[in-house]
Amino acid sequence: MFTKFDRDVRLALFDLFVELGQAPGPEEVAARASATVAEVRASYERLDEQRVIVLDPNSRDVWMANPFSAGPTPFRARHGERSWYANCNWDGLGSCAMPGGEGAVDARCPDCGETLSVTVSDRRPRGDGVAHFVVPAAHFWDDIGFT
Amino acid sequence: MQLFRSEEHVERWLDRRGYGGGTLLSLEQVWGLADAWYREKLSPNWRRLTLEEAEAVFASLGLTGDFWRLRPAH
Repeated sequence: MFTKFDRDVRLALFDLFVELGQAPGPEEVAARASATVAEVRASYERLDEQRVIVLDPNSRDVWMANPFSAGPTPFRARHGERSWYANCNWDGLGSCAMPGGEGAVDARCPDCGETLSVTVSDRRPRGDGVAHFVVPAAHFWDDIGFT
Repeated sequence: MQLFRSEEHVERWLDRRGYGGGTLLSLEQVWGLADAWYREKLSPNWRRLTLEEAEAVFASLGLTGDFWRLRPAH
């Protein structure tokens, strides 16, 4: 499935995303993975093909390292002092699942714009709101940005 | 996937956007998806779930029917 190098690049990318609270640059990932920027970018392409990450169609920089988003979204996840943008509410809660089942997600209701907060402790979510999917599961990846 | 204030807000947003119905999930169901997908994401041995495994997660959370089917029906 993954080569050892692609596994190292994936781990470096995700570890740095957690540490920094934002997408690391390819230079930072290269330093962590003891590789060149060109090698990291080539690995990104393979990880994108396998739907492990999603690259920006134009810049080929990291757009999504699910659950994290490189750009601002209506979903902000928090864990202690750290916070990240998430791609959707599923991913927002996913970023709480990774560091031990604790954290919180603030999401904006698309209808009224109100901020809705969900907290997670002991791997249990608490909060208000109802989640909604427009796209059926078999088509999640047809347009992952919309999904 | 979006989080709405209530079902009424979902209906109003769908009408305004002209989208089809989609499906609703509780916070507990979303958490179940999040935990299954991302709990191991920082592990060196992480791998994507297979379609069969993903469908099993859906089913364990009560997410069944055509909307949640990833493989063609037999």
